[in-house]
Amino acid sequence: MIIRMAKVEIVGPKQDLLTTLDLLHNRGIFQPDPQLLERVELADDDRLQALVLDEHDLRERSFFQDLYDRVAALLELLPETIDDISPLQPLPVMDLIDELVDQHLAKVRELSRILTDCRKEVDDLQRDLIFWQALEPLLADLPQDSNLELLGITIRDGQQLQALEELLQERTQGRCHISSATTTDGSLIGLIATDRQTAESLHQALNDERVPERSLPEELANLPLAQRITALHEHLKSKITSCHKLETQLLEISRRWRPTYHRALNWLEERLTLYRATATAYTTRLCFIIQGWMEHAEVLRLRADLNQAFAGRVVLEQQAILEEDLDQVPVMLRNPGYFAPFEIFSRLLPLPKYSSYDPTPLIGLFFPVFFGMILGDIGYGLILLAVAIFLAKRFPPQQLPSDIGKVLGAAALYTLLFGFLYGEFFGDLGETWLGLHPIWFDRSKDILPMTIFALTVGVVHIILGMTLGALSDLRRHQPRQALFKLAMLIAVLLLVFAVVGWFYPQSWLNTGPLLIGVGILMPVLIAAEGLLAPLELLKTMGNIISYVRIMAIGFCSVLLAVVANKLGGMTGDVMVGILVAGLLHAFNLLLGVFAPTVHSLRLHYVEFFSKFLDLGGRRFEPWQKRHP
Amino acid sequence: MEKALIAFAAALAIGLPAIATAWAQSRIGAAGAGTLAERPELTGIIIILVAIPETMVILGFVVAAMILLML
Repeated sequence: MIIRMAKVEIVGPKQDLLTTLDLLHNRGIFQPDPQLLERVELADDDRLQALVLDEHDLRERSFFQDLYDRVAALLELLPETIDDISPLQPLPVMDLIDELVDQHLAKVRELSRILTDCRKEVDDLQRDLIFWQALEPLLADLPQDSNLELLGITIRDGQQLQALEELLQERTQGRCHISSATTTDGSLIGLIATDRQTAESLHQALNDERVPERSLPEELANLPLAQRITALHEHLKSKITSCHKLETQLLEISRRWRPTYHRALNWLEERLTLYRATATAYTTRLCFIIQGWMEHAEVLRLRADLNQAFAGRVVLEQQAILEEDLDQVPVMLRNPGYFAPFEIFSRLLPLPKYSSYDPTPLIGLFFPVFFGMILGDIGYGLILLAVAIFLAKRFPPQQLPSDIGKVLGAAALYTLLFGFLYGEFFGDLGETWLGLHPIWFDRSKDILPMTIFALTVGVVHIILGMTLGALSDLRRHQPRQALFKLAMLIAVLLLVFAVVGWFYPQSWLNTGPLLIGVGILMPVLIAAEGLLAPLELLKTMGNIISYVRIMAIGFCSVLLAVVANKLGGMTGDVMVGILVAGLLHAFNLLLGVFAPTVHSLRLHYVEFFSKFLDLGGRRFEPWQKRHP
Repeated sequence: MEKALIAFAAALAIGLPAIATAWAQSRIGAAGAGTLAERPELTGIIIILVAIPETMVILGFVVAAMILLML
């Protein structure tokens, strides 16, 4: 249901504004709405103005904002640790935090910079190691000549290798040798051996062809070939150790200071939110005024809290909700036990307006009934009930699977009930094996009675929707709209009776006078709603006919079940028959869950709710602390 | 001959709306899939929208059943 809201005004001396905002913030039950004052008061009273912070508050806010930015920057650099928030109260030590954060920020920035460089070197060395390790067998094949120049290159693919080989042989007149290998990470690399005189032109050729050369760090480049890989290993090891040391240093700082800074950051965030919230307040020369919304049931408690905290200086007054406020009243939905899980369906729609209805209880009442009417089978109902109990027990309450389980449970109970009425147990299996007989309809044969039943359900549902629509208009003080809906309701009823009289003539049900009644109502409808009113009447009749899907989908479901049993029986083998029938029943059950859900919801959303539901409400979003 | 015509009429009554429903659902389904790529939270609404054209085939089915049962 839609929770009753109260429009409240809180007034107090200007110097108590921040403390009042802090109290409201802590309680988390009040939603400020500065537009209320703008609309009602500002036009008449030029003494009332938007709050401008004084110099002291401005300086304080600027200090907190600057500190917040620095603490946030520091926390960004510090590694995550467990036990992240200190219980410390930051306000008394804020000056100390202000001093420390600069020192820590400078130190952590420097450590982070060195660590980044160190990691980059480790990455480079690892790549070099992979490269030279892959080249090691090639190096072993080369003569140990001191005049030999070796160049390492990365090659794109075999085609490039071939082209490169031809080019280099041509440029050096055959005075170079190129060999290739594949590294452990899968890339293709090459080793070019040449003499020192030719090396220069080789460098130039590689540069022209944009072939990347691999170079070693200077201290390793001059080492003899055999020692290069050992030296690379050692160098890498020493760099990794350096990185570990830096990481440990950062972790130590983080372990020691992160909880404190995290707490300070949360506190600063809340404090800055308070300053931002001052924009919702208006002031006179001495007082502040805040207007907003809260749950009606909480008004007395908040008033008592304000009285206690400010010794009567800050006053809360409840005001009447005016007609022009109705579209602005924020909406909060809360439903008791059975209905609460059905909010998963009403959440698919935009919020209703405050003066409208919460669709959840109506979905809770009708959805399982429609579902049961469509599926209506004891066997399927038992399976769904088992699934529903599993979902509801296995998952914690309030979670989506648990809610789905509860909704499915209600739907399964109605499936069982209608299954008894239709005498169905996995289609006609109940009749064959258990001697079950339809108490009400045999859906596989009684198509016409079932159609009439479905249409009757439609008439009742739509008439209920139209009645709620008329009541809603009366609540919104829109008598013209209410009159239109009432006239439409009567016209629909007259038309329905006329149709019944046409198909099933009765002495007391004369079609002529009923149609004349509709004709008499037509000018009223046109006067209230314009020339489109007759179309609206036709649309409503179409809405009623749409309920025939309850029969149609149910009919398909029962026929599929019967076909499953027949196909199972035709196999001539018990096991194969059970398997075939089981598979088809499983498929039918899957359809039997999906189709009734979608079509029941559609009947609600499109046919039923369009008659009375006024959507487009604002969500109630009370002002709350983000960090408790 | 009359029986064959009745059966043909019933087949048309359900067949044509079935084609119309399939066409409408294909268009809504394609648009819905595009919408879901950007706003997955609209899944429920898209499923309902896809189900809306089924009214045509359901009404076609009813008419077909009435042709077969009443004529």
